[in-house]
Amino acid sequence: MFFRILFLVFIGAVLYGPLLILAIFSFNDSIIIALPLEGFTTKWYTLMFQDPGVIEALKNSLIIAMIVTPVCIVLGTLAAVGISRFRYALRGPVAGLIGAPLVVPWLLIGIGGLLFFSKLRVPLSLGTIGVMHVVAIFPLVAAIVAARLVRFDPSLEEAARDLGATQIEVLRYIVLPLIAPALAAAAIFAFSWSFNNFTITYFTAGFQSTFPIWVFSTLNHAKNVPIVNAISTLVAAIQVVILYIAWRLSRRWQSRGGDETLTPEMVI
Amino acid sequence: MAATTVPAAVTRTPHRRLRVIAYVTSPVVVLMLFFLAPMGVLGYFSFLKFSIAGVGGFTGLDNYRDVLTDPTFWDILWTTFTIATVSMILMLVVSLPLASILAFRVKRFELQLLLLLVLADQLNPLIRVYAWRILLGKNGIINSTLMWLGVINQPIASLLFSKTAVIIVTAAEYLAIATIPIYAALKAVDPSMLEAAHDLGAGTFTLYRKILIPLAAPGIFVALILVYIPLFTEFLTPALVGGTSGFMIGNYIEQQILKTGNWGVGSAMSFLLLLFSVVFVAIMYRLGRINRLQTASTGG
Repeated sequence: MFFRILFLVFIGAVLYGPLLILAIFSFNDSIIIALPLEGFTTKWYTLMFQDPGVIEALKNSLIIAMIVTPVCIVLGTLAAVGISRFRYALRGPVAGLIGAPLVVPWLLIGIGGLLFFSKLRVPLSLGTIGVMHVVAIFPLVAAIVAARLVRFDPSLEEAARDLGATQIEVLRYIVLPLIAPALAAAAIFAFSWSFNNFTITYFTAGFQSTFPIWVFSTLNHAKNVPIVNAISTLVAAIQVVILYIAWRLSRRWQSRGGDETLTPEMVI
Repeated sequence: MAATTVPAAVTRTPHRRLRVIAYVTSPVVVLMLFFLAPMGVLGYFSFLKFSIAGVGGFTGLDNYRDVLTDPTFWDILWTTFTIATVSMILMLVVSLPLASILAFRVKRFELQLLLLLVLADQLNPLIRVYAWRILLGKNGIINSTLMWLGVINQPIASLLFSKTAVIIVTAAEYLAIATIPIYAALKAVDPSMLEAAHDLGAGTFTLYRKILIPLAAPGIFVALILVYIPLFTEFLTPALVGGTSGFMIGNYIEQQILKTGNWGVGSAMSFLLLLFSVVFVAIMYRLGRINRLQTASTGG
């Protein structure tokens, strides 16, 4: 029992300890990130909001994630229904194609995108970043949604169809309510995958900057930048708050007439 | 519904083929245009000669020969293999007990702990790697704390910018993704099986070797697929904490593509890496299935 708790605390320290230290140092009144602490300050946060590079990078990351997420949800849902609800000759190849980006490392998707766009003489932009994000992320959404779909009996949809529902109505009234929890989870994941993405963005960004790109280039040019502590703490805190709210909402939504409770199985 | 003139029987005819086309067309077209075509360009470029003057035309397998006869490539590949493998083993050693504690021991806080695990994975990897850098740096927290406490006089320089740093940081980065599939596999196990083994006198080691690891095997194979390939092709972590001794194949490819502009050789390396990924995943998938069949046939 004692060792088990000790072990869990150790895991917690490995996963969250560095971030807590980062947060503490974002309030430290010294340009050098070392003990002992020098005193409390919020000046790094003030400086951060005056840095046009940070604001631009954050804005770009948010714009990309806000466009990539809905596109991935739509494409992922279509793909999931298409490969898990019908039997047809080309089903194997189609499923293989949709699963393929899951096997290919993001490094290669990024490099492939760079070479492809340069071959077509398409200048790199936020658009090229977004397109490659979609390619990498929507198959993951499809996997999450398909995992949910296979747990439901397709005869529900057939019954609706036999009762005269059109395909759109089947999707709107039967399929979507069934996969709603998976879609909500997938949307949160897709957003953070896009927002956090470094590798693909790095190769397809050209002269554009996103938040991860900004942190990377800042770190490569100066050793310890207290602004990076401040902005990182802020972004991590916002991510924690968003995920916490999403979790509370899902619980409330389930307690209000939802037919299931949130189980550990649904998280994974 | 305005289309009342169309007989109901006609609208209700299951146009199965049309429905399938409606669903799969857009995902398939997007992937053909922006996934298959880029991979095709990657393959095509690996047969071209690039120089500062521009594209020099078709060179056959020259780029591949250059890559495979380049001793630096093999050195870096060896570094990459050791870093990825040691980090993966480290992760499995931690994630197996972690997954089994989560699946069997913590009854009340299981969901909360699981969400904490997922949350750690969802936080920005750049921030996480950077946080480790603060910790491990020459003037970092570990060194400055040890010096402040008087344990050491000189900072330990090798904490950061070393293979060890890359191993530690990647293991922490991917720990959550490695644990979740193993947890899912163990969750399907009846806990009374563990109790029975325990009652029959099995020690912790026997319990792991004879019961937990075989039962977690499908999850371990999934963890290997999900983690080992991204780990092998890591570019960010070695760039930030690896220095020259932790330089991995991803960094070498990036150097060829973005720094030296040697797109032909860079593409050839990328293509070899792609081949490796596909073969690795296929083998793991196969092993995972064989294992499942075995457990099924022995009634486990």
